[in-house]
Amino acid sequence: MPLLLMLAASPSLQAARIGDVSDTHWLEQAVRFFSFQDPSLRYALIGSILLGVTCGLLGSFIVVRKLALMGDALSHAVLPGVAIGFLWSMSKNPVAIFIGATVAGLLGALMVNLLTQTTRLKEDTALGMVLAGFFALGVCLVSMIQRLPTGTKTGIDKFLFGQAAAIGAGDVWLMSGVAVLSLLAITLFYKQFLVTSFDPGFGRVIGMPVQVFHLVLMLLLAFAVVIALQAVGVVLVSAMLITPPAAAYMLTDRLHRMLVLAALFGLLSGAIGAFLSFLGNSLPTGPCMVLAASLVFGAAFLGAPRHGVITRWWRQRSRVRRIGRENTLKSIYHVLEDRDFVGEGVSLKELAERRRETIEEARRQARELHRHDFATLQDEDHSIWLTPRGWQRAAAIVRNHRLWELYLTHSASIAADHVHEDAEKIEHVLGEDVVRQLERHLDFATRDPHGKRIPSSVDIHQAGRPAPSREDPRPTGYGGGS
Amino acid sequence: MSELIPAFDWQQVVVSPWRDDPGTFFWIALMGFLVTVTCGLVGNYLILRRMALVGDAISHSVLPGLALAFLAAYAISASQQGPDVPHEDLRKPLLMFAGALAAGILTAVLIEWIHTKSRVKQDAAIGITFSSLFAFGVILISLFASRIDLDQDCVLYGEIGYVPLELGPGDWVPPSVLRMGIVALLTVVWIVVFYKELLVSSFDPGLAASLGINATLVHYAMMCWLSVVVVSAFESVGAILVIAMLVFPGATASMLARRLPAMLLWTVLQAALSSLLGLHLSLWLDCYPAGAMAVAAAGLFVVAWVAAPREGLLATWWRRRQMALEEPSIPEPPALGDGPMNPRSD
Amino acid sequence: MTTTKEPRQPVGTTPPEGTVPLEIHDLTVAYHRKPVLWGIDLQVPPGQLVGIVGPNGAGKSTLIKAIMGLLPASSGWVKIFGKPYRKNLDRVGYMPQRESVDWDFPVSVMDVVLMGRYGHLGLFRRPGRSDREIARACLEKVKMLPFANRQIANLSGGQQQRVFLARALAQESDLYLMDEPFAGVDAATESAIITLLHELRQRGKTLLVVHHDLPTARNYFDMLLLLNMRVVAFGPTQKVFTYELLQKTYGGRLTILSEVAQAVGEKHE
Repeated sequence: MPLLLMLAASPSLQAARIGDVSDTHWLEQAVRFFSFQDPSLRYALIGSILLGVTCGLLGSFIVVRKLALMGDALSHAVLPGVAIGFLWSMSKNPVAIFIGATVAGLLGALMVNLLTQTTRLKEDTALGMVLAGFFALGVCLVSMIQRLPTGTKTGIDKFLFGQAAAIGAGDVWLMSGVAVLSLLAITLFYKQFLVTSFDPGFGRVIGMPVQVFHLVLMLLLAFAVVIALQAVGVVLVSAMLITPPAAAYMLTDRLHRMLVLAALFGLLSGAIGAFLSFLGNSLPTGPCMVLAASLVFGAAFLGAPRHGVITRWWRQRSRVRRIGRENTLKSIYHVLEDRDFVGEGVSLKELAERRRETIEEARRQARELHRHDFATLQDEDHSIWLTPRGWQRAAAIVRNHRLWELYLTHSASIAADHVHEDAEKIEHVLGEDVVRQLERHLDFATRDPHGKRIPSSVDIHQAGRPAPSREDPRPTGYGGGS
Repeated sequence: MSELIPAFDWQQVVVSPWRDDPGTFFWIALMGFLVTVTCGLVGNYLILRRMALVGDAISHSVLPGLALAFLAAYAISASQQGPDVPHEDLRKPLLMFAGALAAGILTAVLIEWIHTKSRVKQDAAIGITFSSLFAFGVILISLFASRIDLDQDCVLYGEIGYVPLELGPGDWVPPSVLRMGIVALLTVVWIVVFYKELLVSSFDPGLAASLGINATLVHYAMMCWLSVVVVSAFESVGAILVIAMLVFPGATASMLARRLPAMLLWTVLQAALSSLLGLHLSLWLDCYPAGAMAVAAAGLFVVAWVAAPREGLLATWWRRRQMALEEPSIPEPPALGDGPMNPRSD
Repeated sequence: MTTTKEPRQPVGTTPPEGTVPLEIHDLTVAYHRKPVLWGIDLQVPPGQLVGIVGPNGAGKSTLIKAIMGLLPASSGWVKIFGKPYRKNLDRVGYMPQRESVDWDFPVSVMDVVLMGRYGHLGLFRRPGRSDREIARACLEKVKMLPFANRQIANLSGGQQQRVFLARALAQESDLYLMDEPFAGVDAATESAIITLLHELRQRGKTLLVVHHDLPTARNYFDMLLLLNMRVVAFGPTQKVFTYELLQKTYGGRLTILSEVAQAVGEKHE
């Protein structure tokens, strides 16, 4: 029985209560929090902002170097150092904790290297072992400390998930120091960090002390982890190193802009997380900050102007629809051409037959053209008439197709019956300058390999229709293989 | 410092538990063993497939699944009995497994989605996914503490000490131990039945494909089973021990053997040793049992790292010394007319 | 083991002290006691375009890296213009293989080329206007100036290769070491690169280029180094590109041999 009591009476296993949300409205709370007026909240907010910026800046480098999980291992490995820092001072002395945690973190990083070099174990296993091993040791030390008479007052258990409210003046000084140091290092040695991250081999070639700068970066990272510990907690610190920079990575193509964005997102996540934790009284800060950062990442991932998933999907969809419209225009042109451009209206039935589809589908495509001002529907929706704009586009597409076919048969010596598929794809993407070059290259030929007339720029831009050609249907100029 | 580490009293730490209160201690030790052995066996394959960190990720990210399962259980019970639901009713094992499975699959799918659909690389994708899910889980249990039978800290190290308390009247075995035992048994069954498939797909996905083994299926099946294992172990030992046991026994075994059957046996032995040693360690130092078991496993690894007969540090150092005494350390000259020694790209 | 062989020189040339761009003596590079390069002796005269050819795994890339000290040597030494590499860094330009970097890195083409100027800048200085001018000129030479602001992921293989070449040019060196600059590029890029290399040679630069394609090796280079872990032969292309020497280098691999035979056969008309 005494054994069981000993095991079960593990310290501080109280379930957290739902925070007693006070009666004041959350907006008022927000004003109180963000206006820096309440001294007790000031430190929490400033500290959160500082750590967000620092982690965002330094984390950018580990994201682009694919070292994200090293950051995770580092942040778990510092826990025993924190515990030993506590033991040293028997209080929450920021300097002691800082030193202890940094030493533990660096030790962990060294261990990972040592393990991979002296055994067959791969890097991910080594990272996992250092992570789990150091962290377990730390948890044991924490529980042992809490058992001591002075232990429960140290607040060391807050280091697991973080509590921004516990940030004091001394902590803020330390965080400012690290933040300034990091900013200084990145500004002064930007080109060295850039080369060390992008192409260390080239760096060595031009005489840069690559190893030194790598170590400096690791050291700064260890500092960032340590200053973020109190607010975010050991378990989730690495998320602040990875998530805001990853969001920045989705939004820009240049490293210096990524650094700025990462710092900004880190700042936002830090501030919002601290605020949320303040609102719900006993919500730990770490998870709040991480969720804020993840939401920012999610938004960037989905909606980033160039690389976002949704934006890319939308662009793809737009392109598919544009191609559909252009194919419809092309068919209308073909129908008109077949009757030597007599009469302007094309009936839906003719279009449907040409494209081998139903009248309903033809009508739908016609409406689509109408929506984009390429054509109008007449005769109670039974016939399509191209607008001048529609005519220009239709003729241009046909010109592109036939020009390309001619180019392939003439310059690439491909048989005339092999070129159609290729031209079907290329016709939609040929730019005007390439078309000019093709026309010049082919000496402004007027017939494609199948004897069809290639619309000239005159044909395209006049509102009227080209006079039906009674010329010899055999190819002239560079007509291809027969 | 002397207060921190109590005196080592052999009687109190090692002998007394077994002599004075064997029933209680036995269940705790057994639960520890079952957890460590199951995680160790699964972890062996994770290490082989270089997925140790994905295992770490899933151990964290099952938390929201668990939390939601508790909430669902509350909702169901509350609709029947009213708002005051006793804690036992919140633990519906099937719901918990379902929640964990869903979370595990979500994790695997999200990681793939993020790094294949954007320029974010796999390592960052893993980090972002599990930390977001874990954070979400912690917030859930903080907000709904009365309806979720977990608290913030114990997700990390569990409450294995409470296992014996679960023995109700007429129960032969505590229900959690029974569940874990079934999971452990099933794990062994899967490994035996699918031995070939697991082996081939871990070492050579290309060969697996040509043999008709669907490597993707194996991957997702492993993720699912890992989620089940993690959630079975979660409540009693929390996330740390799970992560530690996924890597340490397998890593230690790989220092001691090179063939898979031998490695698996070593893993079982490691697991048993770590759990027993860890339990006694926690009695001595008065710390969380789960943490102590993990530290014991780490300690066993360090021993193997240094002293393993062929691969250990001492053995390597000794070998090098032998070779250095015999001949100078210069490269062997290539024979005349030799092609390149290794056909790798220079 | 301590033979004092004279560095191999092409017949009839004795360059004065300090102007030999590259001198290698008894260089051996080993990996876990397995040799990759063995006893390399070499003296490259100035103003030559030298191609390095040999089978896969012959140590061609390793040689380039060992010259620059990127890989440790088990024995031997390397001198660049009479001094050890570390003392003459700014006289060597390097163009690595394309696979050596992550092309998703958020930098632009101009950023990469500017890196070539970093060696001239020291610890704290940033690239200035003149550096940018030089970078632009180098981009112009490789015909990549329109792409200056593009992120490097949006480039084709040949374009990426040209960016690396521009970076090497921006270093403004006297000795250039290039690792497979023609690997996987289209014909247009290939002819643009070789034209540039000839131009550099005209200006008195010395170039050492790892090359993988035998038939073109005969046309492109003034001198050839036949390498298969050891130096099989080194000298003017006409003298060295013979069936016997090539067979010795490639060790009897049939497909290569037929390629060689064809290449040599073309030469004999």
